[in-house]
Amino acid sequence: MRDKVVLFINGQRHTVGAADVFQPLTDYLRSARSLCGTKVVCAEGDCGACTVLVGRAGACEMEYVPVNGCIQYLYQLDGCHVITVEALAPTLSYGSHDELKAALNPAQLAMVENNGAQCGYCTPGFVMSLSALSYCRSACPAGGSGSESCSPEKDVVRDALTGNLCRCTGYEAIVKAGVASLHGSFKPLTELFDEAGIFAELSALDQEEVSVAAGKRQFYLPTTVEKLSRFLDANEAVLVSGGTDLSVNMNKRGFSPVAIVSTARLKGLATIEVMESNDAAGSAGSGKILAIGARVSLAQLEAYMQNLCPQFYKILWVFGSPQIRHAGTLAGNIANGSPIADSLPFLMLMQAEVEASSFRGVRRIKMSDFYLGYKKLALAKDEVITRIFLPLPCQQEKIRLYKVSRREHLDISAFTAAISVTLGGDGKIAAARVVFGGVAATVLKMKEVEDFLQGKPDELDTYRQAGLVAIENLRPLTDVRGSREFRLQLAANIFSKFYFETR
Amino acid sequence: MSNGHTSRNADRVDKNASGAINHDSAIGHVSGQSIYIDDMPRQHNELLVDYFGSPLPRGRIKSLDLEAARAVSGVVALFTYKDLHHNKFGPILQDEVLLVEDIAEFIGQPIVVIAAENHAAIKACKAAIKLEMEALDPLLNIDDAIKAGAYIDREYMIERGDVEAAMAECSHVIEGRLYMAGADHFYLESQACLVYPGEYGQLVVHSSTQAPSEVQHVVAHLLGLSISQVVCIVKRMGGGFGGKECQATHPAVMAALVALRTGRPARLVMNKDDDMMYTGKRHPFQNDYKVGFDDSGRVQALSARLYADGGAYNDLSTAVLGRALTHIDNAYFLPNVKVLGRIAKTNFPPNTAFRGFGGPQGVLTIECIMEEIAAYLKKDPFSVRRANCYGIEERNTTHYGQLLEKNTLPELFDKLRLSADYDKRMAAVKSFNESSQTHLKGLSLTAVKFGISFTNKFLNQANALVNVYLDGSIQVSTGATEMGQGVNTNIKIIVADEFAIDPHQVIVMATSTEKNNNTSATAASSATDLNGSAAQIACRAIKGRLQKVAADYFATQETGVGAYPERIVFAGGEVFDERKPHRRLTFKEIVNMAYRERVSLGERGHYATPSISFDWSVGKGTPFLYYTNGVAVSEVCIDRFTGALKVERVDILMDIGKSINEGLNRGQIAGAFAQGLGWLTMEDLRYAPNGALLSHSPTTYKIPGIYDLPSDFKIDLLENENTVNVRGSKAVGEPPLLLGISVWTAVKHALSFVSGDAIPVLNTPASGEEILERLTAYCQSPASDAKQRSRWGGDGSILLRGQSFAHGESRTSPVRAASVAAKKQ
Repeated sequence: MRDKVVLFINGQRHTVGAADVFQPLTDYLRSARSLCGTKVVCAEGDCGACTVLVGRAGACEMEYVPVNGCIQYLYQLDGCHVITVEALAPTLSYGSHDELKAALNPAQLAMVENNGAQCGYCTPGFVMSLSALSYCRSACPAGGSGSESCSPEKDVVRDALTGNLCRCTGYEAIVKAGVASLHGSFKPLTELFDEAGIFAELSALDQEEVSVAAGKRQFYLPTTVEKLSRFLDANEAVLVSGGTDLSVNMNKRGFSPVAIVSTARLKGLATIEVMESNDAAGSAGSGKILAIGARVSLAQLEAYMQNLCPQFYKILWVFGSPQIRHAGTLAGNIANGSPIADSLPFLMLMQAEVEASSFRGVRRIKMSDFYLGYKKLALAKDEVITRIFLPLPCQQEKIRLYKVSRREHLDISAFTAAISVTLGGDGKIAAARVVFGGVAATVLKMKEVEDFLQGKPDELDTYRQAGLVAIENLRPLTDVRGSREFRLQLAANIFSKFYFETR
Repeated sequence: MSNGHTSRNADRVDKNASGAINHDSAIGHVSGQSIYIDDMPRQHNELLVDYFGSPLPRGRIKSLDLEAARAVSGVVALFTYKDLHHNKFGPILQDEVLLVEDIAEFIGQPIVVIAAENHAAIKACKAAIKLEMEALDPLLNIDDAIKAGAYIDREYMIERGDVEAAMAECSHVIEGRLYMAGADHFYLESQACLVYPGEYGQLVVHSSTQAPSEVQHVVAHLLGLSISQVVCIVKRMGGGFGGKECQATHPAVMAALVALRTGRPARLVMNKDDDMMYTGKRHPFQNDYKVGFDDSGRVQALSARLYADGGAYNDLSTAVLGRALTHIDNAYFLPNVKVLGRIAKTNFPPNTAFRGFGGPQGVLTIECIMEEIAAYLKKDPFSVRRANCYGIEERNTTHYGQLLEKNTLPELFDKLRLSADYDKRMAAVKSFNESSQTHLKGLSLTAVKFGISFTNKFLNQANALVNVYLDGSIQVSTGATEMGQGVNTNIKIIVADEFAIDPHQVIVMATSTEKNNNTSATAASSATDLNGSAAQIACRAIKGRLQKVAADYFATQETGVGAYPERIVFAGGEVFDERKPHRRLTFKEIVNMAYRERVSLGERGHYATPSISFDWSVGKGTPFLYYTNGVAVSEVCIDRFTGALKVERVDILMDIGKSINEGLNRGQIAGAFAQGLGWLTMEDLRYAPNGALLSHSPTTYKIPGIYDLPSDFKIDLLENENTVNVRGSKAVGEPPLLLGISVWTAVKHALSFVSGDAIPVLNTPASGEEILERLTAYCQSPASDAKQRSRWGGDGSILLRGQSFAHGESRTSPVRAASVAAKKQ
């Protein structure tokens, strides 16, 4: 078992051990490696100034994704190749103006020529996100805003940049630069780095367990569920998947877990499989069930859902940012258990099930039984989520998912809702399922409204009344994202919105 | 070039293609090579600096025990007010206390400065400080400050005509109150500085500041040094927006104190949360107004009382209030006006400069009034605004007496109405709103007329140092600081064009008080105006000397030519006598020739803005050299069920004179507009009941993202030359921010379709929550019955800044005064 983390940064191999692995990548880049191009503004994944590319050995080559460096701790990056802004092009540090320009990559050049950079502090992050469009195969499914868009290239660019904030430009010049860079020719990464060599070395590393200790702190990267489960059983350990929430708690709230165990090296959990349903999912759905591995990132899921389930895709499209979705997983979103988690209303609506595994065995837990209270899960100490079974909606049911937040993208919801209505042959509502988030300590299945809707005519007045029924027993809180009254009004109105949208 | 007359014109410059060059730091920015304070390499022996601040918004220190804190391993030194030579400072009134002596006036006000070897030591040190405080009642909104008579500075007033008499004659009168919230600057680089100690108490302060001279002065003053002992250097800022005009001084003094006392380099870099919690913001304003107008909507009288929430100390509040008072007219002629303004003292960090500087708070008020007049008269808001617009030959004097020269406002209004297809779209919006059950649209065209110059006369000066080297390359140093806006690029172009050389031969150096003394802050949109002019003056002095050298030289080469310096032309990197253009010297050759003739190749230029003055004792004067004008039309679409707002299209038309660099100016327009949009629609400062900021990071404080600006976003410029300013240009930094107001008035316009006979009420920011609250009230949506009367969020668990939630009764009754439409009997 290795006791050091091995990673490549801009083609250079680095070994990091002991206390040094318990720091964010950005601290390490800026202090230990003097790579100060990567900026830290918010240190919580909400501005994108720290965007870097992280590559892992895939089946036959390195596969890169853009992530927020500030919430990637070094212990998460064993077996990775990190590319920072300094290495995007063999940039000259001095020379004539024309020579300097000639050395830039197309994204950098377009940002220069379109005045996409003003103060410059966000710029490296934008350049990385734009370069990701070229270097990351699964960078971002394009054009999430849907059908009405008349500028698909702009949408590709904007979709790639929802995780990057700029305070100077109003984005106009950046969008122009992004569109221009789509037509540029980027040097392949094989010209910039010894990709084959890095791939070979990291592929081999990817088979190894890692355990790093520093004083009382410990990090463990097991290769099997059984080992992971035994570690959980023996320690008060925190699980890390994408770390997009854990790292924020460590950066901002002084959270300092003694033991951290990672799911990153568990095999066979990075895929989505389609299964036929026989009984498990009960009445919901089309008969098709997705088995989503715990290592599947939200970005993978987003791409997968684009045609398969556009409603869920739209929610994933506004989920955090590309950087967050590439790091974060659906399993992580479930395990984090926030009542405003964006994926949960749909999972609950579809009566998804969670596969919980331990060295003792495997069991399935219904989503409706999974949350015992605010961030309290029905998982045993030694259990880890390994898969999520998600029944897909059937043709006949009308489904709408809602997320209300101050900003459409890169924001945490004030209120979420999932509504499914199936009409009977008589035109009346044969079945209804309703789930709300942001109105209680957990995501709520709205049983009273479901019952109310059943058998009622499919007309506006029904839905108006459903709103009143819904809010009768709700006692949401006022917090920084919205007042109690706001949430109540949303809960009341959302049915009417559903009515009009499903005409 | 062959025209002898124009060749003698000193204003003539060779344009090259320099106006199209890109930002002078762009390559560094995109490749990660640009250096900011936190990127400067760690120094040997360097100390980290942080501070321990007040946990209470107002409280008296009863005891402070630092013994355990000093003993923490890695802590090198702790300092309190006792270690400062002076503790009071301020740009206008010297009322601000840096380190609390007795009574803390806001949460986070520094009490103890900590110098330590590492972050862990700082954290442990903060935990080990034993502070006992007696809580005092804080003032957390404007109303409470008014009740308590807590003000900063005196009352200010501008008055014209007889408002009361005119109001009595008016057929229509509207009264209302508009509360507008503050906003965080959200520059991406937080406050930062690095101080190197030198010999004999000399300090070199690298600061992320818009005002290096101010940092120099305050550091010297509080540490008891002479100003000449302190050098302040600014390479660049990662954004400023006004937030680093006065408030970069606080970290600078603390780091300088550590460097001076320990003899070690000291760096203070604030994290985003601390920066947002403990530094000042845009001033919230609470404005009461009463406006009288005729049947056409033309204003006859305006009476307004403005209250700025100044926070705990004055900072720049006096000047911010002044600009609100001088901008309440905006583009509209107000024949009879009386506007009064006061600064309320509250227990928040002192509010400070923020792009627009009070202008937006004045302009939002009158644009709100215009929208209300239109709603009240059921007239098209454009026709109301156009009827009130300043004239060209008449109705062209502001309420403070400045004559509008070359008024472009009517032209802007009329051109944009056509180019943005306003009439057709207004009709479309109306019919959309009649038919749509799910969405509501609004359309609004607003204007900006922004006075350019510091309202404090003495600030309207600048100096520049131009050094020409023997290879023909040039260094320019001015007091302007680069925060992304491109002032260095503008100055580079001005200098290059004066000598008709390639702009890449000119480098604009880091701003340093060593080279440029007693400089004004880079503020008031005027950095290029002032510093560019000073640089131009310096260039022309050098150029005059070079012309003499060249004339003498050509006279020796050509018989019968004689030495006529005024006939020497600089063009295309060369110098020649226009009468004999075949014989030429390169710029490098003439520079070398001058050097050998022992002619000075360096110059300091000084510029002072001519013919401006203002007298607050009478509220009259000509405070501005000129005005930057613009108009914008915004179209918005609102989800009737969630209140979600989408800005669908924006058209902007501006008169910014003749651009020195059009690309940079467009960037200023788009960026400022986005900031205005953010302030008025999504950025929401939410406070806990004790005044602690809750939305103190981008997780909860949402600035516009890339999808919040419409993809249909047009920016056009009016052809115009501003003859009173350098290169015919106009300042552009702040004015377009005020065009973001059109988005807010478009929301108000949308609400007028559901508000029935009532004038729609809308506060800021027009967030989804604010909009849904209004929609709910007007549309009697299902859940509205019981909640109608209460202000959303008024249960006291969140403090809405500036609102009167502190007093029992007002928590349950509406606290935002509705606009009351009262027809005169």
